Amino acid sequence: MSLFRWHKSVLPTFSRGGIHPDEHKGLTENLPIETFIPTTVSIPVSQSLGPAAEPLVVKAAMVKRGDVIAAVPGGGVPVHAPISGIVKSVQSGPHASLVYDTIITILAKPSDNDPEFAEQSNWRSLPVAQMLERIRDAGVVGLGGAAFPTYRKLTLPKDASIDTLIINGSECEPYLTCDYRLMLEESDKVVLGSWAIAKIIGVKNCVIGIESNKQPAAERMRQTIAELGLEAMDPPVRMTVVVTETKYPQGSEKQLVQSLTGRLVPKGGLPLHVGVVVQNVATAYACLEAIRNEKPVLERVLTVSGAGIKTPKNLRVPIGTSVEDIVAHCGGYTMDVVKILIGGPMMGRTIADLGVSVTKGTSGLLFLTAAETNLNGYQPCISCGECLDACPMGLEPNRVSQYMEVGRPLETEQFGVKECFECGCCSYSCPSNRPLVQFMQAAKVAYRRHERKSK
Amino acid sequence: MSESPPTLHLSSGPHIFSGRSTAQIMWMVNLSLLPALLWAWAVFGWPVLAITASSILGCVAAEYLACTITKTASTIPDGSAICSGLLLAYTLPPGISIWMPFVGGMLAMFFCKGVFGGLGYNIFNVALVGRSMMMTTFPVEMTTRWLTPTLGMGKVDAISGATALAQLKAEGHDGLVKMLSIVADNIQLWFDFFLGMRSGSIGEVSVLMIILGAAFLLWKRIIKLYIPISIFVGVALMSPFSAAPMIYMLGGGIWLGAFFMATDYVTSPTTPKGQIVFGLGIGLLTGIIRNWGGYPEGICYAILLMNILTPALNDWFRPKRLTADGAPS
Repeated sequence: MSLFRWHKSVLPTFSRGGIHPDEHKGLTENLPIETFIPTTVSIPVSQSLGPAAEPLVVKAAMVKRGDVIAAVPGGGVPVHAPISGIVKSVQSGPHASLVYDTIITILAKPSDNDPEFAEQSNWRSLPVAQMLERIRDAGVVGLGGAAFPTYRKLTLPKDASIDTLIINGSECEPYLTCDYRLMLEESDKVVLGSWAIAKIIGVKNCVIGIESNKQPAAERMRQTIAELGLEAMDPPVRMTVVVTETKYPQGSEKQLVQSLTGRLVPKGGLPLHVGVVVQNVATAYACLEAIRNEKPVLERVLTVSGAGIKTPKNLRVPIGTSVEDIVAHCGGYTMDVVKILIGGPMMGRTIADLGVSVTKGTSGLLFLTAAETNLNGYQPCISCGECLDACPMGLEPNRVSQYMEVGRPLETEQFGVKECFECGCCSYSCPSNRPLVQFMQAAKVAYRRHERKSK
Repeated sequence: MSESPPTLHLSSGPHIFSGRSTAQIMWMVNLSLLPALLWAWAVFGWPVLAITASSILGCVAAEYLACTITKTASTIPDGSAICSGLLLAYTLPPGISIWMPFVGGMLAMFFCKGVFGGLGYNIFNVALVGRSMMMTTFPVEMTTRWLTPTLGMGKVDAISGATALAQLKAEGHDGLVKMLSIVADNIQLWFDFFLGMRSGSIGEVSVLMIILGAAFLLWKRIIKLYIPISIFVGVALMSPFSAAPMIYMLGGGIWLGAFFMATDYVTSPTTPKGQIVFGLGIGLLTGIIRNWGGYPEGICYAILLMNILTPALNDWFRPKRLTADGAPS
C-alpha cells in the first residue's frame, strides 16, 4: 500500500471509488494459450442473455463441427456443435448460473469432412447487413462474461449517433489472463475484428483500453495497429491504444467509458446514449472469425487458476467442456480448495458440481484455497464508510444492508439498488465482512417480485 | 490417502477481500491510544494505570453481561469494549477514586451500547456517555481531583486544584497568569501544553502524544481528517472570545475529542460533507459551551449533541452518483 494514496494517478481512470486487489495474474500471465479438446462436451442450450434456445437434435444424431444444434424460435443466437460426433443425450443437467438447463452431450467422433472455416478474401467489402448476419449466425455473444447477443448490441437504434468504439482489454478481474494472452498472441485478429465492428457501427474512431499491468499487450496491440495500416483501409479507422490505471472495476462499461472519453452514462442508460459502443477483445476476435471465416463460436479461451489447482493454465477449449475434464487436464485440484468459481474472483459464481461445463461467457475457472478467500461470518455494520469510498457508482451499500436486515427491501431504491451492477467493491472493502452484494441482489429480487405483482 | 475430499463453499461474490476486519481496526485504535497513556503514567504516576484498568474492567464486564443476556456470541475479543474503557479513562481526572471508573464504564457500556444492540448500533459515543454519567454522579471527584504533572522538569508544580480552562473561565486571563505564575513566557507555556506538562484528564494532557496516535491511524487509513480539522476550525472561530486563545486551542480535551471521540465510526456521519458539518458543529458547540455555558470544557457535550444529528447528516449529505443528470436520450 502506498503511503501517498492521495496522489492523483496520471493514467486515465474513472472518477469515483474502485479498489486495488492483489492481482494474482503471475500464476498464468506468462503461459501461452494451450488447446485442450475433451472426448465429450456437454453444451447447455442457454448460452446468451435473452429467450432460451431449444435443442434441434435428438439422441444418436450425428453432428458435424459447426452444425446448429439449438436455436431460439423466431431468430436469436443459435448454438453450434463445437466438435464433430454423436449426440449421446439431450437432457436436463447442471448449469453454471441457471442451476439447471437442457444439456446436449456430444461424444467426439472425428469425421473426414469437417468444415475448415477457411479465410474468405472478400470479407472486408461485405455489406454491413451481411456482416451483422454472419455475427448473429455464428452465435457471437459478449465473451467478457455478460453473454449479451453481439448482433443486437451492434444493431443500433435509428436515432443513435455513435462516434467512438471502445474495445475493452481491461481484464480488471484478478487472476484472469485470457484476454491478455489473446491480445499478445492474436493481436492481428483482435485488431481486424475491431476494425470490422467499427465498420458495422460506422465510426472512424476506435479506442482500445488496456490496464497498466498489461503493458506488453498494449505494446503488441500498438505495433499490430501500425503494421496493419487501418487508416488506409476502406473505411479508414483511427485506432488508438490507451493504457488506463490498474483499478478494479476498470473493465466495467460505464467506468471504462468515463476513463476513455470522460463521458458519463445517464442513469438507466447505455454507453450508446453517450455515443459509445463497448466490445470486449475476445468478442472482437470472435466477430472477425464470424465475418472472415464464417466460423461460429465453437471454443473460447479461459484462465484456469488459483492456489487450489495443481497446474494453472490459459486454455482454449470447446464450449461445453466440463469442469471435471479441465480439472483432470490441469493435474487435479489440491485438497485444501474451498471454492470453485466460474469467472473472476470478484463477480464469479461458485459451483459445487464439477459436471458444470464451460459456456460462451466463461472467462475463468478458479480454485481458491482458504488463504485466498474468507469463509467467516459477518458482523453488524459499524458505519466506517469503506463501502461508500469503494463503490464506483456512488451508491450506499451500507444502508441497503441495514434496511435489508430489518426487512424493508422496498425502501432501498433511494440508496441506488437499481444502479448496482454487483462489482463487489463494497463487500471486498467491508471490515465487518458483510455480504453487501448479496443484500443488493436480494433487494433487486424483492423489487422484481413487487413489480410483477403490481402489474 | 486418508485425506477427505474438500468441502466446497457456495456464496455470492466477491470471493476475495481486503483483509481488514473490525477487530483489527479496534485493536489498532487501542494501540494508537497507548502513547497518551504512557505519557499520563509518566507524569501522573501509577494511579493512572489503575484507573484505566478499572474503567476497562467495567466496560468488559458490561459487554459480557450484555452478550450473556442477549445470548449472543461474546464480542469482547473484537477489542471495542476495551477501546471504550480506554477512552473513558482518558476523560477522567487522574486523582479520581479507583472504583468510580468501573461503575462509569459498566453503566455506559450497558445502557449506551448493550441495550441498543451492541457494536454498530449505539447512537452516542460510549466513552462520552460514561463521562457524562460520572459528571452527574460524582460531580466533586470529577471536577477537583486534578494532579500536578511531575517529570523531573522541575518548576512546573503550580497547577493544582483547577485546570487551566477552569481557571480561565473563572478568573479570566489574569487569573490564569496568576495560577501559572512560574511560567515565564507564552512560548514556554504553549510548549508545556503541547507536550503535556499541565493538569487535566488522563488522556488529554499531551497534544503531542495524541498527534502521534492520530498519525498512526491516519497512516493506516482508519480515520480521515475531515472531522478533526473541521472541529479545530470551529473551535478556532470561537477562540477570539477567550482571553487566551492559544490555551483555548491547546487546553482541554479538543485534541483527544477531535481525533479519537468524534471520529468514532458508529456515531459519526459517513460522507465527507456530512463529516465536515459534523465537525464544524462540534467545534462551534464546544465554543458556545465553553464561552457561555456552565462548564469550562465543552467538547464532551458538543460531540454527544452532534451524535444525535448523525443519522440526519447521513440523509442530508449523500455520496455523489457516477451518472450524468437527466434521463437517457
